[in-house]
Amino acid sequence: MMNPRPRIAITGIGLVTPVGNDARTTWANLQAGHSGLDTIRHFDASGFPVRIGAAVKNFDAAAVIKNPKLLNHATRSHRFALAAAEEALADAGIRPENSTAERWGFSVGAGMMGVDYRELEAVQKICAADGEVHPEKFLTADFPADPVAFSRSQTNAGLALLTRHFGIRGYATAVHTACASGGQALGTALKVLRRGHADFMLAGGFDSMLNPIGLSAFCLLGALSADNETPARASRPFDATRNGFVLGEGAGFLVLEKWDAAVKRGAKIYAEFAGDGNSLSCYRITDSPPDGDGPIQAMRQALADAGVAPEELDYVNAHGTSTLMNDRSECAALRAVLGNQVARVAVSSTKSCMGHLIAAAGAVEAAICALAIRDGMAPVNANFSQPDPACDVNLVRGKSQPQKIRAALSNSLGFGGSNSCLVFRNPEEVR
Amino acid sequence: MNSPIVFTGLGAVCGAGKTVEEIFEAIIGGRSAIKEISAWDASCWPRRLAAEITGVDNRTLVEDRKLHKMISKTDMFGLYAANTALQQSGLAAHRASLDTATAVQFSDRSGIFAGSGGGNYSCNYDFFPALAAAAGDLKKFGGQFSESVNPMWLLRNLPNNVLCHVGIRHNFKGANACITNHCVSGALAVAEAAAVIGAGEADRAVAVGHDAPLEPESLQHFQRLDLLAAQMLRPFDRDRDGTVFGEGAAALVLEKATDAQARGAKILGEWLGSGCVTEATGVLKIRPDGDGVSRAIEMALVDAGVSRNEIGLIVAHGNGTRASDVSEAAGIRHVFGDKIPPVTGFKWAYGHLIAASGIIDLVFALTALQRKIVPAIPVLDLIDPEIAPFPVSQTAQIPRGDCALVVCRGFGGMNVALIVRAFPA
Repeated sequence: MMNPRPRIAITGIGLVTPVGNDARTTWANLQAGHSGLDTIRHFDASGFPVRIGAAVKNFDAAAVIKNPKLLNHATRSHRFALAAAEEALADAGIRPENSTAERWGFSVGAGMMGVDYRELEAVQKICAADGEVHPEKFLTADFPADPVAFSRSQTNAGLALLTRHFGIRGYATAVHTACASGGQALGTALKVLRRGHADFMLAGGFDSMLNPIGLSAFCLLGALSADNETPARASRPFDATRNGFVLGEGAGFLVLEKWDAAVKRGAKIYAEFAGDGNSLSCYRITDSPPDGDGPIQAMRQALADAGVAPEELDYVNAHGTSTLMNDRSECAALRAVLGNQVARVAVSSTKSCMGHLIAAAGAVEAAICALAIRDGMAPVNANFSQPDPACDVNLVRGKSQPQKIRAALSNSLGFGGSNSCLVFRNPEEVR
Repeated sequence: MNSPIVFTGLGAVCGAGKTVEEIFEAIIGGRSAIKEISAWDASCWPRRLAAEITGVDNRTLVEDRKLHKMISKTDMFGLYAANTALQQSGLAAHRASLDTATAVQFSDRSGIFAGSGGGNYSCNYDFFPALAAAAGDLKKFGGQFSESVNPMWLLRNLPNNVLCHVGIRHNFKGANACITNHCVSGALAVAEAAAVIGAGEADRAVAVGHDAPLEPESLQHFQRLDLLAAQMLRPFDRDRDGTVFGEGAAALVLEKATDAQARGAKILGEWLGSGCVTEATGVLKIRPDGDGVSRAIEMALVDAGVSRNEIGLIVAHGNGTRASDVSEAAGIRHVFGDKIPPVTGFKWAYGHLIAASGIIDLVFALTALQRKIVPAIPVLDLIDPEIAPFPVSQTAQIPRGDCALVVCRGFGGMNVALIVRAFPA
């Protein structure tokens, strides 16, 4: 006999985002509609076609992680991850100990960039002075062969750093499906808990592509808003005048555990992590199909997995990148999935305030859904003024909207066509 | 009772060949693909071995000329392996036989799980001409990079390209993941694919692992860390001195046995279970006692519902480094005591494929079960006294049962164990 599927609770949240270096500040600023978008200041972007971004500001990892040696092994985005994960564990009031370490798992959506820009520049100077790589130069004494930098650049370096620091010895994985990574990491964590391969999961995402290479890469694709003079308004998802997304950075982590165990230990429960849906659009690498095919299946699966009907859904945290193709495709999908409920269900994209956190986006936005449920508050879709008839969903306009949220849904739709949809249920609705 | 999950397609490409049969014949015949690197002039490098894929036209691997502009080398291998496995499965013909509504549902219930690798450094070199021209002036760089960098740069280097393009080609639109967990990526892709089928979230899936790790910057780091072999990759040998990297990919098609039987597909083996743990030791360190190896195996035995006595052969990670092999043997001994089944490893033949290492080993573990042979490790001279007695051999052995265990280890203290069975048992 199969055991009944265990119910999973969210009991800890940690965030480092462009609108705040912890969950409380981030959530307060999103509710107030404060923008984290600004001219890029942490490197000289003045010559780039796009000079705006959503940077994490005044962040001091050393204040949270009191281990200078460890921080030396951490890239910019790893530092965000360490701080967010520490906050999530502290918030949950439980962390791995010797006796439980093997039952703790880890799942993360990790950014794709491992090499720091300054390291790349140093390699170029020595090994490719004329722009062409000369492999024999790697063998010279000048080459900056730093084993720590080598470790930092590995695809699972963040996983290695966090599992070591927090003493997690069970299941561990890192995933990357571009903008859907964070959502897929949480979905994986849910599956691992349900199949009993762990009792606790630290799950989330981290990324920082807000550096000269990452910025160049998105400029080349023409995916970014070039509203350089009005950065705070540059990200305006679903607005008829939107013209691209704003590149952000940050990290978000959740502590997930079995519901009954969380209740038993008296943990505060933000929400039930109730459902996960996952699909491929099989359309084009950068675009979602105009009819919403792909995202539709992910949303339907997630709702069915959660046992939530559209009538019970009160809030959607949209992927809402502020690009024409995404926003229209996502709205088509919302219409198809929500049917006659589409006029009722509140929708917002918090990317309007904090930009697009790429591999971290899905995890951060899942945390926002949990906070929205706890506080009964649908955060505002900022910067919206001119409706696009193709995006006729019930946007949270003007200011955040107090309302009971019985269930919330978070979409993450990635380059490459991976779609992740997560559904969360209000603890009061759990019976 | 849920239907068992079975394999109905296998695909592989590596230095030792581009079909499963060709590669297995090389293994059985004792032919290693490890040679001096040809991708760049490595003649003055202290460590200059690799198992490269040579003499194969890119268009043989991926026919679509336009697609080559959108993908990198590692993706090319992954797409080839996935296509080969899917071809063998006969699923495309099956889908074509379905009515439209059933075919749509078929697509939505077909998943893709990729374990993706591809090197960490070379992709960024496309920016070197612009960096050189800017000479440290970032403002200048910002104004000029678009003149020398391909507009598709980001897309070509996305880790999840294989998901995207296998999906488009085969209309697989269901559950998916792209795992970027270093050496265990491919092994975890199979484990996650099986888990979603087991949970009823998909009916079938292709799992693929791919890597093209041969880049000079990376190799010089491994060389300085003294992890690379000078002469040959000799797992568990007293004189082993390191590993050798290879490039390539492997893929498996998984589906429910009832579906496979209903459509008359040839069943190549049965999935039983997996275990995945980290030693929490950071990127490079591993525990000498094989803690992660033994815990992953024990977890996999429980997941598979088989006893250790039912394991007929072990395909070890056996990467040939001093620390990994001795700790791996300790971990295996911790589980099996003095009743360790015959052990082999294949990296001497096709090198260490990093993200594809565990999944290609699984393909040949299944092949070994089908042929009822535990292939020899012909490069073995003398089993390391620190490891002996340990049932590896210079000559072929006979499996003592119809289940195979594959061990896969990676950076981050990662250890994954996979268990499969011959079909019919």
